[in-house]
Amino acid sequence: MSSELFLVKEEIKKNIKILLCYPVEIMFWAIFPILWVIPFIFQGEALVGGSTSSQFKELAGTEQFIPFVLIGAIISTYLFSSLYGMGGSIRMESYWGTLEYILGSPARKISVLMGKALSESISSTFFVATQVLICVFGFGLKLTVAKVLPILLVLLLLVAGLYGMAIALAGVTLQIKESRSLVHTIEYLFYLFSPIRYPVGINPVIATVSLVIPLTYALIAIRGIWLLNQPMSTLWGYVGLLALLDVIFIGVGYTIFYYMEKRVRKSGSVSQY
Amino acid sequence: MDLAPEHAIIAKGVVKTFRKKGRRKYGIGPKITPDELIYAVNGVDLTVRRGELFGLLGPNGAGKTTLVKCLSTLLLPNKGTAIISGHDIINDPIAARECIGITTGGERTLYWKLSGRDNLRYFAALYGLSSEEADRRISYLMKIMGLEDRQYERIEKYSTGMRQKVSISRALIHDPPVLLLDEPTLGLDPSFSRFIRSFIKKDLNQKQKKTIILTTHYMDEADQLCDRIAIMNEGKIVAVDTPEVLKRRIPQDEVLEVRCLGHADFSGIGQRVYADSVEGVTIYRIHAENVEDIMSQVIQAAHSAKILSMNVTKPTLEDVFIHLTGARLTGEDNEQ
Repeated sequence: MSSELFLVKEEIKKNIKILLCYPVEIMFWAIFPILWVIPFIFQGEALVGGSTSSQFKELAGTEQFIPFVLIGAIISTYLFSSLYGMGGSIRMESYWGTLEYILGSPARKISVLMGKALSESISSTFFVATQVLICVFGFGLKLTVAKVLPILLVLLLLVAGLYGMAIALAGVTLQIKESRSLVHTIEYLFYLFSPIRYPVGINPVIATVSLVIPLTYALIAIRGIWLLNQPMSTLWGYVGLLALLDVIFIGVGYTIFYYMEKRVRKSGSVSQY
Repeated sequence: MDLAPEHAIIAKGVVKTFRKKGRRKYGIGPKITPDELIYAVNGVDLTVRRGELFGLLGPNGAGKTTLVKCLSTLLLPNKGTAIISGHDIINDPIAARECIGITTGGERTLYWKLSGRDNLRYFAALYGLSSEEADRRISYLMKIMGLEDRQYERIEKYSTGMRQKVSISRALIHDPPVLLLDEPTLGLDPSFSRFIRSFIKKDLNQKQKKTIILTTHYMDEADQLCDRIAIMNEGKIVAVDTPEVLKRRIPQDEVLEVRCLGHADFSGIGQRVYADSVEGVTIYRIHAENVEDIMSQVIQAAHSAKILSMNVTKPTLEDVFIHLTGARLTGEDNEQ
């Protein structure tokens, strides 16, 4: 067990050290989600003619769409980093020529993946903290200390589910090597079918599909806590569903990775670029 | 398959095939027929004794690296299996991996943005070492490799030879009984090559009694280092023995090596003639039972070319390879 923890720790250290070698990349990742969301704020204001909308309130429970969209943007950082991060990390290992040594080692691959997921989470949390500060001081979004813990709990569960999917993508990356297009497609499907930019109640098909996406429950819970001041007791149902989806996503993700790992050993494509 | 106590590695009927390019990707398309497969390793049987330094010699594409990757569990054989230190690579791959240290060719197999020490710490963690064990092993390896002063520098600042030293240290980090060294001196300058060769032979093999499979296409390296050599060609092992016994397979005792500018017709002289060209110089190797008997014929036949030198030598492993396969070992590094 201690050697597993040592591996997870070393995997995190390795990824963070390498990330810190590219400061421009860090800057981009920190400000990108905010830059991405600003056009939607202006677009919304132009369409509605202000920063509030009664029509929006019927769907989202709040008439202020700017905080709604900002929270969506902040949380989507985890979506962005997990989907790109894990597959990208496997891809980079392949470029560096180190993937063969990881796969050829006796280490449990779940520990390596966990280390990768945690290092992604650490860097994402740093970016999210930056974004929260920008939103609080730049856009007047209010966040009290009492709300932080429940939000962190929901975030933790969200991240677990997203990394379940990321592990599956890492497995697929082992086989197909270049998974950017696939990741883009999945990312946009998430944007389409979860309430990142708009309330999913806008369309019945979107609302139905959103039920199987962890982001939906996480966003409902986080917005409930942060914007609507709902007590945690009213949100446990969403948290439970999120936890259930986590179990499914992680289970399916690891099964796919395991299958793909075996497949590349058979096909001989481990060392291919 | 039983493993006798004196054997560290036994491979039995190992076959590894690859599809020819563009065929049946992702399981889509007509079923692959046998003639659409490339047999990278084709029914290899191999036994390596404990503490033996065993060479795999063959030209590029002979199947050496694929065989090593099968033994290291990186590739799953289509048929056959191997036992490494008592562990079946198919049924018990994790235990087999714990007994193997591997280094593959190419210097881009390390994290260039990390220091030599950080690289080794990460790989130590992959092999289940504790933090303290890792530190102890790394300090030891950095010392014997002469990298103590540079251990905290990033790999990108290292020379090719230093990177290779770190690669070999990585293979040794968990002190495995079996080492698979794939072209460990490829692309190194002569001084680093000498160091690596001496380290493999004296430290790893003679002192630490490691069982080593060394793949190389440098004949001299195989000749100097290996207790026994398997010559591979087109996925098969065509001969296995000690270098001396392999060289005795050449029926002629002597070889006249003639270096000349231009081409000469030596056909009909001696028992066998092989030609090669290196930087504009044609090198003929004429096998004969007694070179003195053919000397005058050689000089006469070389009238259309300018002879630069003539040397009488003993058959080399390359001669053995040519004798067995009819082909030359390619990709020779002249400095070797």
